[in-house]
Amino acid sequence: MAELQLQHLDKIYDNNVQAVYDFNLDVKDGELIVLVGPSGCGKSTTLRMVAGLEDISNGHLLLDGRDITQAPAKDRDLAMVFQNYALYGHMTIYENMAFSLTLRKENPNVIHKKVLAAAEILDLTAQLNKKPAQLSGGQRQRVAMGRAIVRNPKVFLFDEPLSNLDAKLRSATRREILLLHKRLNATILYVTHDQTEALTLADRIVCMSMGHVQQIGTPLELYDRPNNIFVATFIGLPPMNMFNTVFEDGKLKGQGFEVELTQEAKALLAKWNGKPITLGVRPEDIAEGGSIPVRVTTNENLGMTTLVHGHMGKNSHVTAKFRDWASYREGDVVNVHFNKMHFFDPETTNAIRKEGN
Amino acid sequence: MSEDRFTQLDRMRYTKNTASSRLALLAIVFDVLFFISLYKSDVGTYYYTALIGASIIYNLVFMLATFLCSEGVKNYNANYSYVMFGLGVGQIIRIFILPMQAHQAVVANQQVMGDAQFIRMVIYLVASALCLFAGAIINLNKSRALKAHIASLQA
Repeated sequence: MAELQLQHLDKIYDNNVQAVYDFNLDVKDGELIVLVGPSGCGKSTTLRMVAGLEDISNGHLLLDGRDITQAPAKDRDLAMVFQNYALYGHMTIYENMAFSLTLRKENPNVIHKKVLAAAEILDLTAQLNKKPAQLSGGQRQRVAMGRAIVRNPKVFLFDEPLSNLDAKLRSATRREILLLHKRLNATILYVTHDQTEALTLADRIVCMSMGHVQQIGTPLELYDRPNNIFVATFIGLPPMNMFNTVFEDGKLKGQGFEVELTQEAKALLAKWNGKPITLGVRPEDIAEGGSIPVRVTTNENLGMTTLVHGHMGKNSHVTAKFRDWASYREGDVVNVHFNKMHFFDPETTNAIRKEGN
Repeated sequence: MSEDRFTQLDRMRYTKNTASSRLALLAIVFDVLFFISLYKSDVGTYYYTALIGASIIYNLVFMLATFLCSEGVKNYNANYSYVMFGLGVGQIIRIFILPMQAHQAVVANQQVMGDAQFIRMVIYLVASALCLFAGAIINLNKSRALKAHIASLQA
């Protein structure tokens, strides 16, 4: 396996539309990096630049210290797994998996051993004589992965590989990818728009928006210490609640509600007295009991948890995630408190943190 | 058994017998060359016209049967080898019917088929037959080996 370095990558199309701005990332050996963001944020373009399917407008791409910026895709020693599997329908699974090695004119006996080993890893041995049309979506995706594995590439590239699968299969295949990563200790660059995939799979997540990297960090860092409002609202389901408030007299005052702060939070916001602050609270950090009244509009029971939607004060929509089964009706008032709060500068949208953090 | 030999046999569980299949298709190609050569010659009398009619029908049957064999041997089915042997023998027998009779026939003091054309047609038929024999033998050997290999895996 290998280390991959993306240095100041830009992608500017011929019509002067810039899809990726100054992308920097060091992927360590054996690391699983997930590029996550909404549609059109440039994550797939970045992956395609790495794969050699798109030209790199500016910047450098290094694989194990070797500059492969201008190298053709076939010489990069990377294997890509596509969303639509890209299997050859007229070939059997065995032939699909062996195809790239056959093109390289490798010894047929060596190809056979590699294909059987990959099929064993992916539990596809019984399917080797079948055609892709005879397999389920999850099995086809495993074949696509198998085709990548037999090449023994330095880096695996996954472009939204689970998007075509239903929810149950997606969850199962996600676990398989995770097991595969651990088993092969492979360096993987994985693109998805699904934050659940990102949080469950990644060693580190690169969160992107509008072609810019918003934050790079471990899943916990992005969840617990988001850099800005975009990351805060993109990571986490349901998304983080955002309230427009003003910091006055040691309290955050919104339209028709006030939030008491801890001494630590007051110290953090000392310089912001009288200024507007965006308060972020995750639905799971809102708990029943407290001094903040929420007027319930809808109540969604999910079995283990209950999502309660309502309004705080005059016009601030809030979603709370309560443990256990709760049966609130429209118009009920629930008093809540916030276990954890995030503060953002409404002007820059950046998180307000202690200096030096 | 060496590891290489084992892998070679094991590969047959997942790969097709393309060698036999391609030889069968090559036999069709030689047959096509044969009848292109035959039909462009003027064989004259009603007797030969009738023979050519039968030859056309046989060619159609031959091509269909050989194509089916080329598909059948892909999956190491030994029965198709016997059919290919039969078709190969048929190609040899054909040498003694139409090209030879036409070669020996003289109409209005003129030879119906020249020596060069006759030799060319014999070569096409022999080549077609050889392809069928070779394909059949390869398939027979491979199908037996594969059968024994699968039996050893199951044992």
